[in-house]
Amino acid sequence: MLAYARNASFPALRQTYRRMGQAWRLPQILAMTPDAANALLGRVARERDRAAFASLFGHFAPRVKAYLLRLGAPGPLAEDLAQEALLSLWRKAHLFDPAKASAATWLFTIARNLRIDAIRREKRPELEPGDFLPQPEAAADDGLARTDEENRLRASLKHLPADQSQVVELSFFADKPHSEIARQLGIPLGTVKSRLRLALARLKRALGEDE
Amino acid sequence: MIHHHPDEALLLAYAGGAADEAVSLIVATHMAYCQSCRARAAQWEALGGSLLQDLPPAPMSGDALQSVLTRLDEIKPEERRVRPASRDATPQVLRNYIGGDLRDMRWRRMGPNLSYVPLFRRGAVTARLLRGVPGAETGAHRHGGQEYTLVLKGGFSDVTGSYAPGDLQMMEGDMRHNPVADPGEDCINLAVTTGPLKFESLLRKVVAPLFGF
Repeated sequence: MLAYARNASFPALRQTYRRMGQAWRLPQILAMTPDAANALLGRVARERDRAAFASLFGHFAPRVKAYLLRLGAPGPLAEDLAQEALLSLWRKAHLFDPAKASAATWLFTIARNLRIDAIRREKRPELEPGDFLPQPEAAADDGLARTDEENRLRASLKHLPADQSQVVELSFFADKPHSEIARQLGIPLGTVKSRLRLALARLKRALGEDE
Repeated sequence: MIHHHPDEALLLAYAGGAADEAVSLIVATHMAYCQSCRARAAQWEALGGSLLQDLPPAPMSGDALQSVLTRLDEIKPEERRVRPASRDATPQVLRNYIGGDLRDMRWRRMGPNLSYVPLFRRGAVTARLLRGVPGAETGAHRHGGQEYTLVLKGGFSDVTGSYAPGDLQMMEGDMRHNPVADPGEDCINLAVTTGPLKFESLLRKVVAPLFGF
């Protein structure tokens, strides 16, 4: 499926990819900081603010669509699911907790679950906050610390060696277990796992954690 | 206190969405017991958020925003679900999946000491609940794929150590073990396999496939 999407041998997909190239050069689509996105989402949650929703749609719907195309969804399905993801955001905005995730991360989890449901036709067993833990959860830090953490993660992701960032990206965009990723890349499973370990250790260091 | 956790690659597969339904179920149920794995999975979800931010946008069709805006008024905010507490401390994520508490399950016998409830099968991947009376043995085996076992009640022990509620054991390939249920109460596990178990005893070899192992 991934190869099919990348080759883009169908006219509609080819056109989509050409348009993607143009959109990439439009600066106004790129300009939204994580803190700005969180603030807009807060306005949707508290005031059902349609203008704030429209801004979030303008920024995130094309990215969710790109995510779904990368995972092999045909163009029309990617378009529909991207719209559904943003409608979910409207429906669930009041459940968003900026201490737990940024708006982008929250939307990623929504898009991920929609995709598993619609494309893979499987359930996604999902932990509910407050499920069962015998001991109380640690006090959450504030949203600013969270977006700061994500900014550092994002920066260090760009500095990973190519072979490491490749296995990390495929973990999100290939929809296959690591054993199949290994087959696709023509390397042993142990090598995939060791590259992942190295990559994740680096990313954790960027978050200021010991391994 | 949890001593046995999913490895980083498994948490990443769960957070990224590559893990299949059975593997997602066992990772999510482990996280119901484990604060540190919740935090790690949240980090790898943040990685997904970062990758999403950095994807070259694929433009939506011209009327997409307009058509979504006209649908907003029909949509009511989703209510927080409040559910009655489990009567036997079954984690909610597992209750959602099996449609009740562990004590509500219809257990199928598999010999005098073991019983099970099939939950999921797709190709070689299976998920099931397993229950053993104290002292019950699975039988020595190796693995045709991965085997993940999460303790829900009681505990079991084998050459690799002892496992209590919340602990997740990861075994694969030629790693050989013979889990034995600890004394005390029945041991109940959630077990996921991605390939058949390779038993050593002739009886188990013959019988296991009859039960879908």
